[in-house]
Amino acid sequence: MGEIVKTGLILAAITVIIGLILGVVYMVVKEPIEDAELAAKLRAIKVVLTSSENGKLIVSEKQIPKNLKDLEEKVWKSSEDGTLFESSKYKAKVLSPAYKFVGRNGENIYVLTGSAIGYGGSVVTMAAFVKKDGEFYENAIEVLEYSQETPGLGARISEKDVKKRFYGLSSKAFQKANGLKVNKDAGILPKSSNEEIRKLKDSGVVQTSDVMTGATITPRAVVNTLNAMFEFLNQEVK
Amino acid sequence: MANTFADFTKGILKENPTYVQALGMCPTLATTTSAINGLGMGLATLAVLTMSNVVVSLVRKFIPEKVRIPAYIVIIASFVTIVDLLMHGFTYDLWKTLGLFIPLIVVNCIILGRAEAFASKNGVFRSLLDGLGMGVGFTLSLLLLGSIRELLGNGTIFGIKVWGDAFKLFMMILPPGAYIVLGLLAGLFNFIGIKRKAKIKG
Repeated sequence: MGEIVKTGLILAAITVIIGLILGVVYMVVKEPIEDAELAAKLRAIKVVLTSSENGKLIVSEKQIPKNLKDLEEKVWKSSEDGTLFESSKYKAKVLSPAYKFVGRNGENIYVLTGSAIGYGGSVVTMAAFVKKDGEFYENAIEVLEYSQETPGLGARISEKDVKKRFYGLSSKAFQKANGLKVNKDAGILPKSSNEEIRKLKDSGVVQTSDVMTGATITPRAVVNTLNAMFEFLNQEVK
Repeated sequence: MANTFADFTKGILKENPTYVQALGMCPTLATTTSAINGLGMGLATLAVLTMSNVVVSLVRKFIPEKVRIPAYIVIIASFVTIVDLLMHGFTYDLWKTLGLFIPLIVVNCIILGRAEAFASKNGVFRSLLDGLGMGVGFTLSLLLLGSIRELLGNGTIFGIKVWGDAFKLFMMILPPGAYIVLGLLAGLFNFIGIKRKAKIKG
């Protein structure tokens, strides 16, 4: 009996000491973690607000948020539970908050964050949509979370060459019967020319199979997120 | 002195954790799709293994025999959590790339294996050397496996083009490639081990 109590107490002591150490470490790194997350978000906003055609910012330099306060001023819509819209058709969500910027020619630009299920969990994407001549034009994307995707396959979604394939999608691409899609011919296509990629984009197909061999689930999560965003914008912005 | 030095070097070839002891197969197979992933996983494991070996060796006299395994697990899991938190806060980009692998270190049996087989029976300094040696051995193994798979599967090493698109075996970055390369390397390491033994015998 005494033996069991003694063993239990020692084990309890170990866990208590370790728990305290972990608590201290957590308190020390809490702020750096928040700062790092915010910095990553601000960087992402800058990326999606950079024109996919000429590499210049599509809003004035002044509007790019530099800290939490700037960012909060740009909030367009937000919700308590963290979700703004859920698309049952594409099984994707638009997350809160959504931001709104004003472009160089006075057009409205919406920066949305959304998520869909990838290979192993949520894939979170940020995208900027420009409202031009009454239609939405998707400018650029940034993939914020893909940590559950397969390294070397789906996780390559974070590479610039891959993300570029999702840049510059017109509303035509989204208006097809089942929305935007990803092509699936794994690895057998020769490197496509820019012209072919452009043509496919207009027909609502994002070509990723030549830069991202074999991975279809992760890019599909990204296009479905974009589809949900498009649905959401058409519903919210008249 | 020769003995302590051997504590360090044995992990690299003679008792290589991956190819000879066949420990830690889960992260080995899962994370070696490229050289950089293998190296990152190896270094993170090296850090946790060294720290846990030292701490387990320090407290080995206080821990009752019956609860040693849960106690070691608590120590290892805490170090993994600390490494994860620190990387998240201070090396955000690296954490983003390796984030997936860090929690995997807890289930890596090399760490528990070394705590049980070595650190719980030996002094702090020797345990430190053992942790470093096994960690370096594990890192080199993963780096080798990752480089071969990346080269054959993607034509690059560390993202640098070797022959690029000229030759790509897509299978190599998928699980079958991991098993094939791992099997061949394990065979090679055992072959070297047998040759060396035969040489010593004369």
